[in-house]
Amino acid sequence: MRGYRTILVERVDLGQGTTGRFHGLLHSGGRYVISDERSATECAEESAIVKRIAAEAVEDTGGLFVTTPADDPGYADRFLAACLKTGVPVQEIPAAEALRREPRLNPGISRAFEVQDGAVDAWKLLWGNARSAQEHGAAILSYHWVTEVIREGDRVAGVIARDNRAGEMVRIEAAFVINAGGVWAGEIADMADCPGVTVVPGKGIMIAMNHRLVRTVVNRCEHPGDGDILVPIRTVCVIGTTDVKADSPDDYSIGRDEVQQMLDAGEVIVPGFRQARALHAWTGARPLFKDERAGEGGEDTRHMSRGLALVDHLRRDGVSGFLTITGGKLTTYRLMAETVVDAMVEQMGDSRPCTTATEALPGSEDGRHYWLGSRLAAQEEAMADDQLVCECELMPRRKLVEAARRRPGMTLDDVRRALRLGMGPCQGGFCTYRATGILHGLGDAETERADELLLTFLQHRWLGLEPILYGDQMRQACLDDWIFQGTLDVEHLPVTVPT
Amino acid sequence: MRRAVVIGAGLAGLVAGVRLAEGGMRVTMVAKGVGSLTLSPGVIDVLGYAPGRVDSPREALGAFVAERPDHPYARIGADALEEALAWFTDRVPQMRYRGDGPRNLLLPTAVGVPRPTALAPASMAGADLRGGGRFVVVGLSGLKDFFPRLLADNLARADLPSGAMVGARHAEITASPRPGRADVAGQVYARALDDPAFRGEFAAALRGLAEPGETILLPAVLGMARAGEVFDELQERVGAPIAEVPTVPPSVAGMRLNTELTGAFARAGGRVVLGVEAVGATGSDGRISEVLVRDAARTRALPADAVVLATGGFSAGGIALDSYGGLHEVVLDLPVAGPPAGVAPLSERHLDHQPLMASGVAVDGMLRPVGPGGEPVWDNLHAAGTIVAGAEPWREKSGEGIAIAGGFRAAGAILEET
Amino acid sequence: MTHPLHELMRDSLDHCVKCTICETYCPVAAATPLFPGPKYVGPQAERYRGGDANADASLDYCSSCGICTQVCPQGVKIAEINSQAKAELAQRRGVSLRDRLIARPTLAGWMGAPVWPVANWTTSFGPFRLLLEKVLRIHRKAPMPRWAGRTFQSRTRSRRKAPDPAAPQRKVVFFHGCAANFYEPGTASMAVQVLEHNGLEVIIPKQGCCGLPLQSNGQYDAARAYVRRLAAQLAPYARAGHDIVATSTSCGLMLKREAHEILGVDDDDLRVVSERMFDICEYLVMLDERGELKRDMQPVDMEVPYHAPCQQRGHGVGTPAMELMAMVPGLRASQVDAVCCGVAGTYGLKAEKYDIAMEVGRSLFDQVRASGAALSVCDSETCRWQIAAATDRPSVHPVEMLHRAYGLG
Ligand SMILES: Cc1cc2nc3c(=O)[nH]c(=O)nc-3n(C[C@H](O)[C@H](O)[C@H](O)COP(=O)(O)OP(=O)(O)OC[C@H]3O[C@@H](n4cnc5c(N)ncnc54)[C@H](O)[C@@H]3O)c2cc1C
Ligand SMILES: Cc1cc2nc3c(=O)[nH]c(=O)nc-3n(C[C@H](O)[C@H](O)[C@H](O)COP(=O)(O)OP(=O)(O)OC[C@H]3O[C@@H](n4cnc5c(N)ncnc54)[C@H](O)[C@@H]3O)c2cc1C
Ligand code: SF4
Ligand code: SF4
Ligand code: SF4
Repeated sequence: MRGYRTILVERVDLGQGTTGRFHGLLHSGGRYVISDERSATECAEESAIVKRIAAEAVEDTGGLFVTTPADDPGYADRFLAACLKTGVPVQEIPAAEALRREPRLNPGISRAFEVQDGAVDAWKLLWGNARSAQEHGAAILSYHWVTEVIREGDRVAGVIARDNRAGEMVRIEAAFVINAGGVWAGEIADMADCPGVTVVPGKGIMIAMNHRLVRTVVNRCEHPGDGDILVPIRTVCVIGTTDVKADSPDDYSIGRDEVQQMLDAGEVIVPGFRQARALHAWTGARPLFKDERAGEGGEDTRHMSRGLALVDHLRRDGVSGFLTITGGKLTTYRLMAETVVDAMVEQMGDSRPCTTATEALPGSEDGRHYWLGSRLAAQEEAMADDQLVCECELMPRRKLVEAARRRPGMTLDDVRRALRLGMGPCQGGFCTYRATGILHGLGDAETERADELLLTFLQHRWLGLEPILYGDQMRQACLDDWIFQGTLDVEHLPVTVPT
Repeated sequence: MRRAVVIGAGLAGLVAGVRLAEGGMRVTMVAKGVGSLTLSPGVIDVLGYAPGRVDSPREALGAFVAERPDHPYARIGADALEEALAWFTDRVPQMRYRGDGPRNLLLPTAVGVPRPTALAPASMAGADLRGGGRFVVVGLSGLKDFFPRLLADNLARADLPSGAMVGARHAEITASPRPGRADVAGQVYARALDDPAFRGEFAAALRGLAEPGETILLPAVLGMARAGEVFDELQERVGAPIAEVPTVPPSVAGMRLNTELTGAFARAGGRVVLGVEAVGATGSDGRISEVLVRDAARTRALPADAVVLATGGFSAGGIALDSYGGLHEVVLDLPVAGPPAGVAPLSERHLDHQPLMASGVAVDGMLRPVGPGGEPVWDNLHAAGTIVAGAEPWREKSGEGIAIAGGFRAAGAILEET
Repeated sequence: MTHPLHELMRDSLDHCVKCTICETYCPVAAATPLFPGPKYVGPQAERYRGGDANADASLDYCSSCGICTQVCPQGVKIAEINSQAKAELAQRRGVSLRDRLIARPTLAGWMGAPVWPVANWTTSFGPFRLLLEKVLRIHRKAPMPRWAGRTFQSRTRSRRKAPDPAAPQRKVVFFHGCAANFYEPGTASMAVQVLEHNGLEVIIPKQGCCGLPLQSNGQYDAARAYVRRLAAQLAPYARAGHDIVATSTSCGLMLKREAHEILGVDDDDLRVVSERMFDICEYLVMLDERGELKRDMQPVDMEVPYHAPCQQRGHGVGTPAMELMAMVPGLRASQVDAVCCGVAGTYGLKAEKYDIAMEVGRSLFDQVRASGAALSVCDSETCRWQIAAATDRPSVHPVEMLHRAYGLG
């Protein structure tokens, strides 16, 4: 937007990093009013902006903080005072009123506070931003894995990336490189020979439940802990999350004990939670920034941990043309971008003001928020002349065909991130075969690749299913096995499945 | 008259029910809903992979059960299996089951994998790939669950017995029972084809598609109640051999089998009560005397001299896994045999062996569920079908064999008791 | 709208494994492409509901016949979810005058009763039916019952006895429902005679409408009030230990289950009434199992096609009518292979749904006609009217066959 020619380089697909693995909450700030005042204020301000500029990606669900019988009753008053202090809008409502709005909530709640939480669809947000960037002239290179940062003396002059689909190396020269590698930002800083930027992966698991058990975001009114937020987003609600230090940002393992912990936590918010159907589990890694050179004069290490972290490599390492932005929250993504680009503009000696807070993203110009019934309403119109490919998530064939035209060579995971293929109760049980057949029929995937797409998608869905396989989802998994192995015999397709 | 209660209206329950009713018992079948039979491809699998592709189930079975002493087939025995299959095909003449003696057929699936199966309706058996052949795969534009090009292209790459040459191409026709509608379900095609008017239109669309020597492969939607008539007439009118390929659910071929078998049960004098859940049983001296069912208003006791439990595995809800990992048999709270100690219940690789999925009730030689010591829980309770522990039928391609032989054997054990 | 039971029904959507069995059985989806089917409008669409607006008007084509719930192997309460969503839709759109009128058989019945010759003349008079169709959107060919002139209640005032805890087993309460009261008192009388023939004394307390037509037309508050009042009228008898026997399968089912599961009525009166409520055929078969049913039936040399209406199937008691008819020497009853006649209470009366209803029932009508039988048998009154109108021959309650066999009339 500020008129620079920009290239975005992404190693897999947009949303394959932490942004596509988060909890879905557009924070009102309430969660941080006591532990991290600065983050609280940032969230309060930024969430209001995001609701405006990215309306299409946000559902204005509102939020509640409730004191359950398991919570410290004293926290509520401190919470209220801190909200006022940090500028997080809040209003106490009678517990009975909260129960009327959310009948499944633990009937033992003693206090309830209304806040301005929302739910944000990461993929819609990403694609909205991407389209906006493209309209302003940016290029987006997905499946380009940066392997090297080009240094010319004290200056960073670009990157070298491996194009993972074409299988070739690409050299990109640039006047300036911004490292927004999230939890991988340390690795990229290392490539630029700026060691010591340590981003600790704070791993968290989340579980999507089959339908909305609550309509508003429900937080426990307590010091931030594990599994204390339930977020209604799209057709599901998501319980989360844990926070454990992981050895690697690419560690996606999900422990059975963590699942049990989430289910117990769910019971505290909504009694009977364990009887409800879990759909899918996943993990993400929070970028928690820690500068090994703290104390050596690097002043950027001040606002660390949960807050956003700008690392000025010119001051810190004497390297120009290179900035790292990490830490932060999804809610403050825009502020992070503004911060880092401001720093870049300053370093380049320009003065171009930021307009991201006022310019709505493509698709959000009318300011209308997402609403739950939208796909149902669209399908009602399309019913006569289109086929439903993913029935659970109401994804029509036309959408898939259009997407394949726009972006040839998609994997089914790409389709899922763009269109929610296979995200519903059957987890691809019915739509995987359909989507494969359609992409093959269009000529987008030749036969061997089509077989691979099918088996890979099933395998990837399985990774998020296996840890939460119980109750209704176990029945589903067995039915899906009957279909794919029993009826179709896909395990004997003439390809080997990549791991 | 002795009374039997059969719990579950799937393949195993129906087979047991028919045999018991024919054997002179007063049979009441209770089921929460329609069985998985309506979802199944309509072929009769006995043993398809062990884990290599099985050419002759009869020959392979001995070694197979020797390696797997806890497999349902180890309890049922190969002889009972053969007898059961012969008995079964007689009960469902309209399905016109065909096989190749002891050997498996090799039929294409909807993704074009050659899949071994013991018996198939005549309308499918013509696609046997063992001798190779030339095929034109025809899709229906309104049917979203059949991709002729994917089937044809995979068929051309398929792993076939040496010497079998397959040629396959694809085509599509637009004839539809609901013109103007993009999404038409398989059962809608099938019912419409029962009607001679649409059948004529459909035949006209197919005519001329096949070159001499080619067999037309179509999704298995060729008729519902009058499938036999529809198939014969289409072949005649089109002037080329036709073979049906089973579809994913809703599976018309499975529905046909379900209808014919429930008809056989009713003709034998059986009663079906659908939409009720069995919730327990009472009894004494090791015998069940009543099965408890929940109807619209209350819990009712159905008197029973013998009981067949055929409630299916996880997918049908006979076995449940709770959120703590506990395994339960849902109706009678029988002991459940899960994965052996020390074995990881699930694998990270989706298509690997998943020991947890083979959970079920362990049974004795008379298919009576047993406790940990091997003693029957109830003397007059027998189990059949997927609820019996020890198999992953979708991997082995053994589901129908286990259900038919199990239902047949359980009924036999009950009838022998008199 | 949200009550705990709604949440319970809704929770059952979690059990759906998308197997499509319900879609293959739904009679309406088979008859029209306008209806996307039970899986779609039930467990699937329900995940998208709960916002401020309804997004799927096609839901309204569901006839609430309940077949889907019965066949679902996973225990999804599909029809119940649909009914509740339809009620919400109706509330948002506003309930039409027609739907208010046909939902109140007591109102229509009482309006007709004092002036019955005129009323019957108007409902069979073509131009009047055209007017009805224009103004009220009631299809001109839809079967309309004939008012009987004198209600069953007014004919049986002498049977309004108090509960008798001293002899609860020997005395049964007869719940006749609105249809019998206004239109088919003959069927009700035969039922009473059959019960008496079996040595039971029959009490016919004052009783109102169960509210079912209101429920199926989305008027839940009114329906709740009706069913509560009725339950209060019957509860003293149930508490005294009397069984309650009904000839109306749908109204019986309302008291057994639907008032609780769909309307969410949760009171003691209803609970005791539910426990004691029996469909008449179910009751007679139960007597037989206890060895208490008289087997002195005379031969009735007839072939009759029998249709087990969808509401009857909802009782979960099998097909007792077939068992009773099998006891009658010479009577050869065969069950028609069809799940629904299409009318589904008041659904088939509506101008916009009449054709769908006729298509739903087509195979049933064909089978009845092809049988060549002089009459057909069916437990539910609205179905009988529909079948009779479509097949040009009478359709009777199974109890009427028994009445003949016992030589009572
Ligand atoms: C469990 C959990 C729950 C959370 N919940 C919330 C919440 O509810 N609300 C909220 O506001 N925030 C939440 N967060 C925080 C939020 O998700 C993250 O802060 C935010 O998504 C980070 O975005 P990012 O763009 O910095 O990182 P990412 O989204 O991870 O983006 C970094 C990208 O860089 C790419 N990349 C890395 N290395 C290379 C390379 N060598 N070459 C090319 N590309 C590369 C990655 O593939 C990735 O796509 C949560 C985080 C976690 C872990
Ligand atoms: C707010 C929110 C709501 C959600 N709601 C639902 C829901 O309703 N239903 C549902 O099913 N899920 C839901 N999810 C989970 C979602 O489907 C994903 O599981 C999750 O977002 C992680 O997605 P992913 O595509 O990054 O990883 P996945 O593709 O799911 O990861 C599977 C594995 O495959 C690997 N992998 C995948 N593609 C590649 C590639 N191209 N290259 C290398 N490795 C690869 C990953 O690294 C990982 O190890 C939700 C997620 C969020 C954030
Ligand atoms: S029958 Fe039941 S489980 Fe199957 S699709 Fe319908 S609602 Fe779902
Ligand atoms: S209630 Fe009847 S019409 Fe409605 S969806 Fe179920 S089966 Fe179809
Ligand atoms: S009218 Fe009869 S068969 Fe028809 S819907 Fe009713 S009950 Fe069903």
